[in-house]
Amino acid sequence: MKEKYFSTFQLILLALFASLVVVAKIALKTPLRLPGHSGIFWMALIIVAAAVVPKKGAASLVGITSGFLAAFLGLGDFGALNTFLSYSVVGIGTDLAMLLLPNTENLLAAGLVGALGHIGKFIVKYLFGVITGAPVGFVALGLLWAILGYVVFGALGGMLGAMVISALRRAGFFAYLAEKR
Amino acid sequence: MAQKNRLLIALVILIAISGVLVAADMLRRQAQPALAGNTAVTLTAGSIPIYMDGQLVAGFSPGDLDQLKKASFIEAAEGVKQEGWMLRDILLLYIPEEELRPDTQIVVSSSSRGKSAQLTWEEVNTPENYVMFDLANRGTLKLVSVMEKLDERAEWVQDSDRIEISSP
Repeated sequence: MKEKYFSTFQLILLALFASLVVVAKIALKTPLRLPGHSGIFWMALIIVAAAVVPKKGAASLVGITSGFLAAFLGLGDFGALNTFLSYSVVGIGTDLAMLLLPNTENLLAAGLVGALGHIGKFIVKYLFGVITGAPVGFVALGLLWAILGYVVFGALGGMLGAMVISALRRAGFFAYLAEKR
Repeated sequence: MAQKNRLLIALVILIAISGVLVAADMLRRQAQPALAGNTAVTLTAGSIPIYMDGQLVAGFSPGDLDQLKKASFIEAAEGVKQEGWMLRDILLLYIPEEELRPDTQIVVSSSSRGKSAQLTWEEVNTPENYVMFDLANRGTLKLVSVMEKLDERAEWVQDSDRIEISSP
């Protein structure tokens, strides 16, 4: 019998990470009033998920699943399609970035993967604005500021994820997972 | 490929994406024609037209923000801080207060969202109502308030692009 690409155990883990992404988005409120600040939690979770299930497509699956969950919960103010695509693109972008930088235990690599994955969300939001005919940015600096926010917080999230992965490895979590698989 | 090269390539991709987004926005800005009403007022891209009884009286532009004091409140539903510029201050930049009566109707709308909010000058002019524009991440303005009809995300007027004032 052909072996499944993701085992049931791995799918359960990825689904848990997907729900954590949504819970983090709802429950973790930071006093930072800066664009993209939720990327700190978001990207950390996705980077850790991709390390816990080290297969291509793991981050995308977390993104798509969390997108479904978030869309059904009515998160975001652009409608369900925008919410679904925003969440999904974060996962897909992270997977694509990890093709180039697979070692996310490296802080710099994880930071860049986080930034690349997170900017995908901004691209979706921007494109939706263009498609729906939203007015051009009222403040010219607003867009650059927003891009910078998404990149910085995505990178910080990626680095946080890398630190969590290192801590999990030191604690023997990956050896434990290998036995479970 | 060495890790250093991979990091450099990723950095270049990140900068390129950011550059393309900024360039696309600049092109979009330039492509948006300046609108002219039947008065001497000309609107520049990104400014919000203010109409009074059907006549274009002003275009609220980014430069005008410097003259205004910022206001903020913590939104009750999500606990998020809303910070921006009071609508009353914006209107008073262009329209003498004597022309605004308590029952003057003010409609703030967003053509892209198909949303609008109808308020009276009395509501807008009450500081405790915090009827104000918050600057959204994309650099567009959203109308928010602590008033019941404007205190939830679904009621906000995101991407506001028109203000209409009509005398009763």
